[in-house]
Amino acid sequence: MNSYRPAHNRGLYQPRIGSVVLVGGGPGAADLITLRGYRALMSADVVVADRLAPVGLIEELPMGIEVIDVGKQPGRHTRTQEQINSLLIEHARMGRRVVRLKGGDSFLFGRGGEEAAACEANGIPVEVVPGVSSALAAPAAAGIPVTHRGIADAVQIAHGHRPVAQSAWASVAGGTCTLVLLMAVAELKAHVAAALTAGVDPSTPAAIIESGTLPQQRITRSTLEALPALAEALGVQPPAVIVLGRVAAADALRAFVAQAS
Amino acid sequence: MSAPDYPITLDVTGRRVLVVGAGPVAERRVRRLLTAGALVDVIAPRATEGITELSASGEIDWFDREFDIADLVTPKRAWLVHTATGISGVDDWVGNAAAAEAIWCVRAADSEKSAAWMPAVGVGRGDADGLQVAVTGGGDPRRSTALRDAILIGMETGELPVARVRGTAAATTPTQGRVALVGGGPGADDLITVRGRRLLAQADVVVTDRLGATGLLSQLPERTKVINVGKTPRHHPVPQFDINEILVREAKEGQLVVRLKGGDPFILGRGGEEMLHCAAHGIPVEVVPGVTSAVSVPAAAGIPVTQRGITASFVMASAHDGPEHVLAAARSAAPDATLVLLMGVSRLADTATGLIAAGRAPQTPVALIESGWTPRQRTTTTTLERAAADAEAALVRSPAVIVIGEVVAVRDELLALGVANL
Repeated sequence: MNSYRPAHNRGLYQPRIGSVVLVGGGPGAADLITLRGYRALMSADVVVADRLAPVGLIEELPMGIEVIDVGKQPGRHTRTQEQINSLLIEHARMGRRVVRLKGGDSFLFGRGGEEAAACEANGIPVEVVPGVSSALAAPAAAGIPVTHRGIADAVQIAHGHRPVAQSAWASVAGGTCTLVLLMAVAELKAHVAAALTAGVDPSTPAAIIESGTLPQQRITRSTLEALPALAEALGVQPPAVIVLGRVAAADALRAFVAQAS
Repeated sequence: MSAPDYPITLDVTGRRVLVVGAGPVAERRVRRLLTAGALVDVIAPRATEGITELSASGEIDWFDREFDIADLVTPKRAWLVHTATGISGVDDWVGNAAAAEAIWCVRAADSEKSAAWMPAVGVGRGDADGLQVAVTGGGDPRRSTALRDAILIGMETGELPVARVRGTAAATTPTQGRVALVGGGPGADDLITVRGRRLLAQADVVVTDRLGATGLLSQLPERTKVINVGKTPRHHPVPQFDINEILVREAKEGQLVVRLKGGDPFILGRGGEEMLHCAAHGIPVEVVPGVTSAVSVPAAAGIPVTQRGITASFVMASAHDGPEHVLAAARSAAPDATLVLLMGVSRLADTATGLIAAGRAPQTPVALIESGWTPRQRTTTTTLERAAADAEAALVRSPAVIVIGEVVAVRDELLALGVANL
């Protein structure tokens, strides 16, 4: 066993000379960043931003803050992760306060761990400011709680660029676990085919939330089986979050409440 | 300069202001003056492109020549003079001439010699619309602009009291009440979202519990009514149904009710039930997501719940209702999925035993993180088979987040790299 208490308080964000702050910018709307993240951003010298970083936040930045866009387009990496790590280190070494701004949360599929480790290994002080993950907030904005007593006791979140584990599909088939898929629009057909092969009920409720929390947010509800064709017909575009499971049904919560009362 | 100066705000609408100099500094002053409605005359042999354009469009009069003392009083007497020529001798001349005429003169380059000077100004927007802040003094413009910026951020986020206080004319017309379910984040006061913080600042009623950023409550305005429905483990002072009723009752009285919850309202937080109850009673209800403790508290201890090469998925469950829920969640996930348990301290022994019986390796790493993102944060690492005994020995207390899975090893790697604040 090893019990450990950090030596210093985690208080207000203190800008330091030559540092990197990994800030989760939240799901999309500019005001869904944390206060700590907002302060770090407003007092940065340089902001290294992802494609999924909230656009509204970048537009709000005071003049004089340099913005470097390292946005990765789907299927086309403009900069490798190693290049991004080097960029952060290089600017911090010039004594600048660097904010690495990402969409959602830096640590949830955001490769924040790798960036933090690279900075630490080079002696650059790193601070992590967590963010509201799109995996949870986008469904919430669509009125879908990913967990809800009596409907889903657990939620599993997976990255859509890789095949989903068989056991995860089994859990959706079991009916009490919600599956949230991030960045899965391009591979939607393959995922659904895998789910059906794994025995998930074709009528399992499914929802796609595009541009969650933004004014252009669009919710498409369907069933697992019908989802790919509908998504194609409607021209569903990334960034989008896909929710599979009973909570995704439009009337799921109402039916539950009616049943309970 | 030991005597205090005398801050004042001028209404320059329709009044003549003379600006001597037409460089970038002068141009900024000219634009501010125009925004404030002043009649601006500029005297300078050469001007920036911006000033040239303002002159061409007739918004100002620009005289392309050297300053003359007569400019102070012709064609009309100036109420105020700005000099920003960049040449100290010329600024001295303008300043002295203005003093002789008893006209206030601002010297951009030298506040020591100046009769009047500009504060660092910020203009509020949104809820702060109509408010301006002006910071002066300190002898260092960067110091006052830094303070001005900090105040603007506080106005922007709702941490400073900018919301209009109700009353006056609006008091007689009943307002429509509403409910906002706000995720307060994992514990630190500044890990709430900007939207959530603004709503707290505006709230008439805040319904809170034990979890999350309770420190925010001490920052609420005096007029805010706080209702504590706090739950402690094994003890439910206010049943969920009664909480739902409180939200509806207060909103029906026309109040803006903020239901402040720990983490995220929709993650194992029963926000769905509260939302439905409000909706069923016709109360407008919005959800403001929060940073969930299930992801951010492990992160604070250096544990990413997913990591390339270790696992791509994780499962969250609330252990509050007993180990059977956790086991159901664990069974539902990939064998390598990280398991994150909220509210699991009191049932840790049963949970761990059940997980081992269900096939999780007894040596699976476990981290118990107490009071995440607060100064009291403490992390205890152990294994699944030893978790309950170690938690007892270390006196682990709720609120704590329990992480079960190989990702716990990332923390050890970070510690080995010398990362101290985990």
